[in-house]
Amino acid sequence: MTADADKNGGCQCGAVRYRAEGEVGYPHLCHCRMCQKAAGNYFMPLGGVKHSNFTLTRGAAKWFHSSDLVRRGFCGDCGTPLFYDIPGTDFINITLGSLDDPDVVKPVMQSNTGRKMSWFHALDGLPLEPEPETPDREDAIAASNHQHPDHDTKSWPLGEIS
Amino acid sequence: MTTYTGGCQCGAVRFRVSGELKDSSICHCRMCQKAFGAYYAPLVSVRGADFAWTRGERKKFRSSNFVERGFCGDCGTPLSYEAPDGVAIAAGAFDDPSALPPVVQYGIEGKIGFVDHLHELPGHRTEEDAQAAPFVLELVSYQHPDHETQTWPPKEPR
Repeated sequence: MTADADKNGGCQCGAVRYRAEGEVGYPHLCHCRMCQKAAGNYFMPLGGVKHSNFTLTRGAAKWFHSSDLVRRGFCGDCGTPLFYDIPGTDFINITLGSLDDPDVVKPVMQSNTGRKMSWFHALDGLPLEPEPETPDREDAIAASNHQHPDHDTKSWPLGEIS
Repeated sequence: MTTYTGGCQCGAVRFRVSGELKDSSICHCRMCQKAFGAYYAPLVSVRGADFAWTRGERKKFRSSNFVERGFCGDCGTPLSYEAPDGVAIAAGAFDDPSALPPVVQYGIEGKIGFVDHLHELPGHRTEEDAQAAPFVLELVSYQHPDHETQTWPPKEPR
């Protein structure tokens, strides 16, 4: 895969896909309570892409104005949080976990740490589940995975030419 | 018995759960990563507790033949992981996620290389961002508050 291909991404079901070329600016974790709740998570990982480098390649996001100044884009079909947009700026923030290969964009900063989970620093010390408790179920899920693959596809929903 | 509440960012979908919530985890599998647009999904099992959706209807996506994932169709917040053996709720959707620290990690075959080092990154509080992004000082949030409300959306300006 080329570096550009690594920066494609989209939602879980594949209804919304995007291409982000060039550099992803200021990749960071936002710990603010608005990002926490929007993401259903402890923080939201975000990075900026210039509009000139950003293309929606399939579908369209649904938007929620979380304030007058900010809107948040997500897939209306499967819910994946995708974008944090400040209208009027020349860039859009993408959620870094929606990248097909999130490993290639390493965050450099944490922001808005006032509401950061007090035990965030200790997560890496949690015990690891050694083996799936239910291997049969894991296998059945893998065999019927409805998640879009981590690369672009010719058609959606996934057909024979995926 | 402890009662916990939560919901989506906009408040269209709310839930309440009473009981002991002991099974709080983070899942690193690629399906949870992409569903949440994040590095992992933090999930709190409500199996054995008294759980109810108290406002609105979640929308669901069947991510495999066994599992459905619930989210708010109005604002997109990921809300649930619903499997035949029980339901787990997105930890960050609780009104106070700090009360439910995770105790185990799942799906570690999908764990992202730098995840264990995120907490070592330098950090800033919101006020410090005001210099670079002055709008944060004037921001009026349309997020549902972190407690239950009588009506939604509110009749008065928020």
